Amino acid sequence: MVVGFAIVAAWELVTAVGVVAFRKPMYNALSLVANMLGLAVLFLMLNAQFLFAAQIIVYAGAVMVLFVFIIALMNPEADISFRPGGTEWVYGVVFGVIFAALLAALLFNRGLTGRPGAFTPEVIAAAGNVQTIGTALYTRFLFPVEVTSVLLLVAAVGAVYLAMRRIR
Amino acid sequence: MPVPAYTFLLLSGAVFTLGAIGFMVRRNPLVVFMCIELMLNAVNLAFATMSRYLNSLDGVVFAFLVITVAAAEVVVGIAIIVQVYRAGRQMDVDELDLMKE
Repeated sequence: MVVGFAIVAAWELVTAVGVVAFRKPMYNALSLVANMLGLAVLFLMLNAQFLFAAQIIVYAGAVMVLFVFIIALMNPEADISFRPGGTEWVYGVVFGVIFAALLAALLFNRGLTGRPGAFTPEVIAAAGNVQTIGTALYTRFLFPVEVTSVLLLVAAVGAVYLAMRRIR
Repeated sequence: MPVPAYTFLLLSGAVFTLGAIGFMVRRNPLVVFMCIELMLNAVNLAFATMSRYLNSLDGVVFAFLVITVAAAEVVVGIAIIVQVYRAGRQMDVDELDLMKE
Protein backbone atom coordinates (compact mmCIF):
# COMPACT_ATOMS: atom_id res chain seq x y z
CA MET A 1 0.00 0.00 0.00
CA VAL A 2 2.85 2.38 0.79
CA VAL A 3 4.50 1.66 -2.55
CA GLY A 4 1.19 2.12 -4.32
CA PHE A 5 0.61 5.40 -2.55
CA ALA A 6 4.08 6.65 -3.49
CA ILE A 7 3.47 5.82 -7.15
CA VAL A 8 0.06 7.52 -7.23
CA ALA A 9 1.35 10.54 -5.30
CA ALA A 10 4.20 11.00 -7.78
CA TRP A 11 1.68 10.62 -10.60
CA GLU A 12 -0.53 13.29 -9.03
CA LEU A 13 2.33 15.76 -8.66
CA VAL A 14 3.62 15.21 -12.19
CA THR A 15 0.21 15.59 -13.79
CA ALA A 16 -0.57 18.66 -11.64
CA VAL A 17 2.64 20.28 -12.91
CA GLY A 18 1.50 19.34 -16.40
CA VAL A 19 -1.82 21.12 -15.88
CA VAL A 20 -0.01 24.27 -14.84
CA ALA A 21 2.96 24.24 -17.18
CA PHE A 22 2.00 22.84 -20.60
CA ARG A 23 1.73 25.50 -23.26
CA LYS A 24 -1.20 24.14 -25.21
CA PRO A 25 -4.62 24.02 -23.53
CA MET A 26 -5.32 20.54 -24.90
CA TYR A 27 -2.27 19.15 -23.10
CA ASN A 28 -3.40 20.91 -19.92
CA ALA A 29 -6.80 19.25 -20.23
CA LEU A 30 -5.35 15.80 -20.81
CA SER A 31 -3.03 16.24 -17.82
CA LEU A 32 -6.05 17.17 -15.75
CA VAL A 33 -7.83 13.98 -16.87
CA ALA A 34 -4.81 11.96 -15.76
CA ASN A 35 -4.72 13.86 -12.46
CA MET A 36 -8.38 13.16 -11.78
CA LEU A 37 -7.99 9.46 -12.52
CA GLY A 38 -5.08 9.32 -10.08
CA LEU A 39 -7.20 11.10 -7.51
CA ALA A 40 -9.91 8.48 -7.98
CA VAL A 41 -7.32 5.81 -7.12
CA LEU A 42 -6.44 7.78 -3.97
CA PHE A 43 -10.12 7.83 -3.02
CA LEU A 44 -10.15 4.07 -3.40
CA MET A 45 -7.15 3.84 -1.05
CA LEU A 46 -9.07 5.98 1.45
CA ASN A 47 -11.98 3.54 1.46
CA ALA A 48 -14.28 6.00 -0.29
CA GLN A 49 -15.63 3.87 -3.11
CA PHE A 50 -18.58 6.15 -3.68
CA LEU A 51 -16.31 9.14 -4.23
CA PHE A 52 -14.22 7.00 -6.58
CA ALA A 53 -17.24 6.35 -8.78
CA ALA A 54 -18.47 9.96 -8.57
CA GLN A 55 -15.01 11.26 -9.44
CA ILE A 56 -14.73 9.05 -12.52
CA ILE A 57 -18.27 9.74 -13.74
CA VAL A 58 -18.64 13.43 -12.97
CA TYR A 59 -15.10 14.77 -13.27
CA ALA A 60 -13.16 12.49 -15.60
CA GLY A 61 -16.34 11.77 -17.55
CA ALA A 62 -18.60 14.80 -17.80
CA VAL A 63 -16.52 17.83 -16.84
CA MET A 64 -13.39 16.90 -18.74
CA VAL A 65 -15.35 15.90 -21.85
CA LEU A 66 -16.82 19.40 -21.73
CA PHE A 67 -13.35 20.95 -21.42
CA VAL A 68 -11.84 18.88 -24.23
CA PHE A 69 -14.85 19.53 -26.45
CA ILE A 70 -14.68 23.29 -25.93
CA ILE A 71 -10.93 23.36 -26.52
CA ALA A 72 -11.35 21.37 -29.74
CA LEU A 73 -14.15 23.72 -30.79
CA MET A 74 -12.38 26.98 -30.05
CA ASN A 75 -8.88 25.82 -30.93
CA PRO A 76 -7.16 28.50 -28.84
CA GLU A 77 -3.58 29.32 -29.64
CA ALA A 78 -0.78 28.61 -27.20
CA ASP A 79 -0.92 30.64 -24.03
CA ILE A 80 0.73 34.05 -24.05
CA SER A 81 1.82 33.67 -20.43
CA PHE A 82 4.98 32.07 -21.82
CA ARG A 83 6.36 35.10 -23.58
CA PRO A 84 10.09 35.61 -23.06
CA GLY A 85 11.06 37.98 -20.30
CA GLY A 86 7.83 37.46 -18.38
CA THR A 87 8.31 37.61 -14.65
CA GLU A 88 4.99 36.13 -13.55
CA TRP A 89 6.37 32.60 -13.28
CA VAL A 90 9.06 33.77 -10.87
CA TYR A 91 6.50 35.44 -8.66
CA GLY A 92 4.21 32.45 -8.98
CA VAL A 93 6.86 29.97 -7.88
CA VAL A 94 7.97 32.19 -4.99
CA PHE A 95 4.38 32.49 -3.86
CA GLY A 96 3.91 28.74 -4.21
CA VAL A 97 6.94 27.88 -2.08
CA ILE A 98 5.84 30.29 0.68
CA PHE A 99 2.25 29.07 0.55
CA ALA A 100 3.21 25.39 0.66
CA ALA A 101 5.61 26.04 3.54
CA LEU A 102 2.84 27.80 5.45
CA LEU A 103 0.45 24.91 4.85
CA ALA A 104 3.01 22.34 6.00
CA ALA A 105 3.93 24.42 9.04
CA LEU A 106 0.28 24.69 10.00
CA LEU A 107 -0.17 20.95 9.61
CA PHE A 108 2.82 20.03 11.74
CA ASN A 109 2.40 22.76 14.34
CA ARG A 110 -1.20 22.17 15.19
CA GLY A 111 -1.26 18.46 14.55
CA LEU A 112 -4.36 16.55 13.60
CA THR A 113 -7.15 16.71 16.12
CA GLY A 114 -10.78 15.74 16.01
CA ARG A 115 -13.14 13.34 17.68
CA PRO A 116 -13.37 9.98 15.86
CA GLY A 117 -16.83 9.10 14.69
CA ALA A 118 -18.75 5.85 14.66
CA PHE A 119 -18.19 4.91 11.02
CA THR A 120 -15.20 2.64 11.17
CA PRO A 121 -14.36 0.71 7.98
CA GLU A 122 -15.96 -2.39 9.49
CA VAL A 123 -19.27 -0.61 10.12
CA ILE A 124 -19.27 0.81 6.60
CA ALA A 125 -18.38 -2.54 5.10
CA ALA A 126 -21.20 -4.24 6.99
CA ALA A 127 -23.87 -1.91 5.59
CA GLY A 128 -22.21 -1.15 2.27
CA ASN A 129 -20.39 2.03 1.31
CA VAL A 130 -23.04 3.52 -0.97
CA GLN A 131 -25.88 2.63 1.40
CA THR A 132 -24.14 4.30 4.34
CA ILE A 133 -23.45 7.49 2.41
CA GLY A 134 -26.93 7.50 0.90
CA THR A 135 -28.49 7.26 4.32
CA ALA A 136 -26.33 10.12 5.58
CA LEU A 137 -27.16 12.23 2.51
CA TYR A 138 -30.89 11.85 2.89
CA THR A 139 -31.16 12.15 6.65
CA ARG A 140 -28.48 14.30 8.27
CA PHE A 141 -27.49 16.23 5.16
CA LEU A 142 -30.92 16.56 3.57
CA PHE A 143 -30.90 20.35 3.50
CA PRO A 144 -27.51 20.71 1.76
CA VAL A 145 -28.59 18.12 -0.79
CA GLU A 146 -31.77 20.05 -1.54
CA VAL A 147 -29.86 23.32 -1.83
CA THR A 148 -27.44 21.63 -4.21
CA SER A 149 -30.29 20.38 -6.35
CA VAL A 150 -31.63 23.93 -6.64
CA LEU A 151 -28.12 25.11 -7.52
CA LEU A 152 -27.86 22.52 -10.31
CA LEU A 153 -31.22 23.64 -11.69
CA VAL A 154 -30.15 27.28 -11.65
CA ALA A 155 -26.86 26.39 -13.34
CA ALA A 156 -28.66 24.46 -16.08
CA VAL A 157 -31.09 27.33 -16.71
CA GLY A 158 -28.25 29.87 -16.69
CA ALA A 159 -26.17 27.85 -19.15
CA VAL A 160 -29.10 27.51 -21.55
CA TYR A 161 -29.80 31.23 -21.29
CA LEU A 162 -26.15 32.11 -21.95
CA ALA A 163 -26.06 29.74 -24.91
CA MET A 164 -29.20 31.23 -26.47
CA ARG A 165 -28.13 34.83 -26.07
CA ARG A 166 -25.78 36.59 -28.47
CA ILE A 167 -23.71 39.34 -26.94
CA ARG A 168 -22.71 42.22 -29.17
CA MET B 1 -2.94 2.29 8.95
CA PRO B 2 0.08 1.94 6.72
CA VAL B 3 0.01 5.41 5.16
CA PRO B 4 -0.31 8.20 7.74
CA ALA B 5 -2.84 10.96 7.20
CA TYR B 6 -0.05 13.53 7.07
CA THR B 7 1.21 12.27 3.73
CA PHE B 8 -2.23 12.47 2.14
CA LEU B 9 -2.69 15.99 3.48
CA LEU B 10 0.76 17.07 2.32
CA LEU B 11 -0.01 15.75 -1.16
CA SER B 12 -3.30 17.62 -1.06
CA GLY B 13 -1.53 20.82 -0.05
CA ALA B 14 1.07 20.41 -2.79
CA VAL B 15 -1.56 19.90 -5.49
CA PHE B 16 -3.54 22.86 -4.15
CA THR B 17 -0.43 25.05 -4.28
CA LEU B 18 0.29 24.02 -7.86
CA GLY B 19 -3.29 24.91 -8.78
CA ALA B 20 -2.97 28.28 -7.07
CA ILE B 21 0.25 29.04 -8.96
CA GLY B 22 -1.43 28.16 -12.24
CA PHE B 23 -4.47 30.22 -11.34
CA MET B 24 -2.35 33.32 -10.88
CA VAL B 25 0.18 32.83 -13.65
CA ARG B 26 -1.75 31.49 -16.63
CA ARG B 27 -3.61 33.83 -18.98
CA ASN B 28 -5.97 31.57 -20.91
CA PRO B 29 -9.34 31.53 -19.12
CA LEU B 30 -9.86 27.84 -19.88
CA VAL B 31 -6.54 26.93 -18.26
CA VAL B 32 -7.32 29.18 -15.30
CA PHE B 33 -10.54 27.23 -14.96
CA MET B 34 -8.67 23.93 -15.03
CA CYS B 35 -6.42 25.19 -12.24
CA ILE B 36 -9.53 25.95 -10.17
CA GLU B 37 -10.66 22.37 -10.74
CA LEU B 38 -7.23 21.19 -9.61
CA MET B 39 -7.59 23.13 -6.35
CA LEU B 40 -11.10 21.77 -5.77
CA ASN B 41 -9.78 18.26 -6.31
CA ALA B 42 -7.03 18.82 -3.75
CA VAL B 43 -9.61 19.96 -1.22
CA ASN B 44 -11.67 16.86 -1.94
CA LEU B 45 -8.63 14.74 -1.21
CA ALA B 46 -8.22 16.46 2.16
CA PHE B 47 -11.91 15.90 2.93
CA ALA B 48 -11.74 12.21 2.08
CA THR B 49 -8.54 11.81 4.11
CA MET B 50 -10.01 13.31 7.26
CA SER B 51 -13.19 11.31 6.74
CA ARG B 52 -11.19 8.11 6.63
CA TYR B 53 -8.92 8.84 9.56
CA LEU B 54 -11.67 10.16 11.83
CA ASN B 55 -14.09 7.33 10.98
CA SER B 56 -16.67 9.87 9.93
CA LEU B 57 -18.88 10.27 6.88
CA ASP B 58 -18.99 14.07 6.91
CA GLY B 59 -15.91 14.50 4.75
CA VAL B 60 -17.18 12.15 2.07
CA VAL B 61 -20.55 13.89 1.97
CA PHE B 62 -18.87 17.29 1.72
CA ALA B 63 -16.57 16.07 -1.04
CA PHE B 64 -19.63 14.84 -2.90
CA LEU B 65 -21.28 18.25 -2.55
CA VAL B 66 -18.07 19.93 -3.73
CA ILE B 67 -18.07 17.71 -6.83
CA THR B 68 -21.67 18.72 -7.56
CA VAL B 69 -21.01 22.43 -7.09
CA ALA B 70 -17.88 22.20 -9.25
CA ALA B 71 -19.87 20.60 -12.04
CA ALA B 72 -22.45 23.42 -11.92
CA GLU B 73 -19.67 25.99 -11.83
CA VAL B 74 -17.93 24.48 -14.85
CA VAL B 75 -21.15 24.57 -16.88
CA VAL B 76 -21.80 28.25 -16.26
CA GLY B 77 -18.15 29.25 -16.53
CA ILE B 78 -17.63 27.53 -19.85
CA ALA B 79 -20.85 29.04 -21.18
CA ILE B 80 -19.51 32.51 -20.32
CA ILE B 81 -16.09 31.75 -21.84
CA VAL B 82 -17.71 30.54 -25.07
CA GLN B 83 -19.82 33.69 -25.23
CA VAL B 84 -16.73 35.85 -24.80
CA TYR B 85 -15.00 33.86 -27.51
CA ARG B 86 -17.97 34.26 -29.85
CA ALA B 87 -17.92 38.00 -29.24
CA GLY B 88 -14.47 37.92 -30.80
CA ARG B 89 -12.48 39.02 -27.80
CA GLN B 90 -8.96 37.93 -27.08
CA MET B 91 -8.63 34.86 -24.86
CA ASP B 92 -6.59 36.59 -22.19
CA VAL B 93 -7.83 37.19 -18.67
CA ASP B 94 -5.83 40.42 -18.51
CA GLU B 95 -7.69 41.83 -21.52
CA LEU B 96 -11.12 40.92 -20.17
CA ASP B 97 -11.65 43.98 -18.02
CA LEU B 98 -15.06 44.98 -19.35
CA MET B 99 -16.66 44.87 -15.90
CA LYS B 100 -13.92 46.79 -14.17
CA GLU B 101 -15.38 50.23 -14.77
